[in-house]
Amino acid sequence: MSVVVVLQAAVPRDIGLFEWLLDGDTWTGRAGILSSLLDTVILCGAVMATAIVLTVPLATALAHYRKGELTLTWFVTLSRAIPTFAVAGLLVPIALKRGWGFEPWPIFLALLLLALPPIYLNTYTAVRQVDQGAVDAARAMGFRERDVLFRVELALAMTVVLTGIRVAAVQVVATEPIRAFLGGDGLGRYVRDGLGQNNDTLVVGGAILVAALAATTGLAFALLERVVLPNGIRRLQSTQTR
Amino acid sequence: MTKKIVLLLAGLMMASLLVAACGDDDGDDPEGPTIRVRGQAFSESVTIAEVYAQYLQAKGYDVEVLTAAGFRTEAIDALQNDDVDLIIDYIGGALSALAPDAGPSADPDEIVETIAPLYEEFGTTLLDYSPAVDGDAFVVRGDSEASTISDVASLNYVLGASAACFERPQCFIGFTDPEIYGIEFADEVTIEFGPLLGEALAAEEVDAVIWNTTAPQIDANGFKVLEDDQGLFPAQNIAPIVRTSVLDEYGDQLKDDLNALSEAISTEDLLAWNNETDIELRESDDVAAEWLEDEGLLD
Repeated sequence: MSVVVVLQAAVPRDIGLFEWLLDGDTWTGRAGILSSLLDTVILCGAVMATAIVLTVPLATALAHYRKGELTLTWFVTLSRAIPTFAVAGLLVPIALKRGWGFEPWPIFLALLLLALPPIYLNTYTAVRQVDQGAVDAARAMGFRERDVLFRVELALAMTVVLTGIRVAAVQVVATEPIRAFLGGDGLGRYVRDGLGQNNDTLVVGGAILVAALAATTGLAFALLERVVLPNGIRRLQSTQTR
Repeated sequence: MTKKIVLLLAGLMMASLLVAACGDDDGDDPEGPTIRVRGQAFSESVTIAEVYAQYLQAKGYDVEVLTAAGFRTEAIDALQNDDVDLIIDYIGGALSALAPDAGPSADPDEIVETIAPLYEEFGTTLLDYSPAVDGDAFVVRGDSEASTISDVASLNYVLGASAACFERPQCFIGFTDPEIYGIEFADEVTIEFGPLLGEALAAEEVDAVIWNTTAPQIDANGFKVLEDDQGLFPAQNIAPIVRTSVLDEYGDQLKDDLNALSEAISTEDLLAWNNETDIELRESDDVAAEWLEDEGLLD
């Protein structure tokens, strides 16, 4: 019987939460937290990079030229109502039939759909609502249209744009674990295995890990906002809010 | 005009329901508490629960069908917490859930001997098992060289199975145990139990999946079930488990009725039901009603 125990892939059901979290094997190895974390971070990073590249320039340009204010904004807001799990779940059989496999397309597209709306809406609204006086002054000083767009409008809108990116990133990180229920792994695997194996420690531990990563992501982006925003903009923000 | 027809139809339906409801009340209905039945969250279990529930309803029992949820663990929890009164489960699965240390057995009577007292411990009674079996199945694509599970040892296969399989001695642990099958898989993929297993196998994402013998997709996709040459899989006859207090209130009548129904269900029936629900995409309650009607069990 001892051989069976050594080979046992599953975490014992009666293990305590701290016992599990503090065990070295929990962190390293093929199904370890570190490699699962890496899987999750890579996917979320790719989703966020794609979302930013697709959305920020488009929303900035549209807001600058005052185009698509009602139609596109309405459409994007509506797309927030589509449940991510449903999108990914529908895409999985399609991807399998086409030979693309379980990963990464279904979950990537579903998460991308989740990331687009907050970034788009924040960027559009922020650029659209930049103080018209500043824009007029820039034009009067002889700024070219491109400089008005990048050096005035986008620069002044940056705080809100970054907030949109932060919100999207936290949502993506917190939602990515559904991937474990759709033939993938990532940080959601512990919740999935815990539910399937009736192991509460795994469910709670996995949920804590996901929540911790989401919280860390939010903090990291908040720090990033402090670092990348010029002092002038931050002072402007603080005087405006005062 | 359409509206009037719809109203008329709705009225007719209500009227017929009333007539039907009154018609049932012929005075010799069994007296006792409402029997709450719940299936597990996969189509076969839902259909089985419907068959038992509609059968009891036709016999005049007061039955409530709860929305199917969870799997075996949740079903046993619900029995223990007094949330349901009747579940129908697979005896081999119940064995691994209630007595994880007991070795697998292919003999249903031997399994019943082990699990019946365990059910009694929390106030429930295991009734006679049915000849209908839905066993575990090691499924591969039709073009696989293997014909027994032992053959897989040399094939470096990727295994797809549900999370539950990976912790069960009668499943993944048994396949990899050198004293039983000693298979080293190239990789393991955790897949939600159900049709997704077949889709992953067909898409060659995995080379083998752990499924159940009555999955209609196995035939439909030309997959094959490998022989369990080391006898790892337990006997998986279906059997009803009833809260003992409910059983006592109804006396022997409920027990005899349920045993008669279990006796009437065969493995072929399970396959046919699954084909109706999973391939033809019909509703479980319709499939159950039709079968009961055909078997003449609704009198």
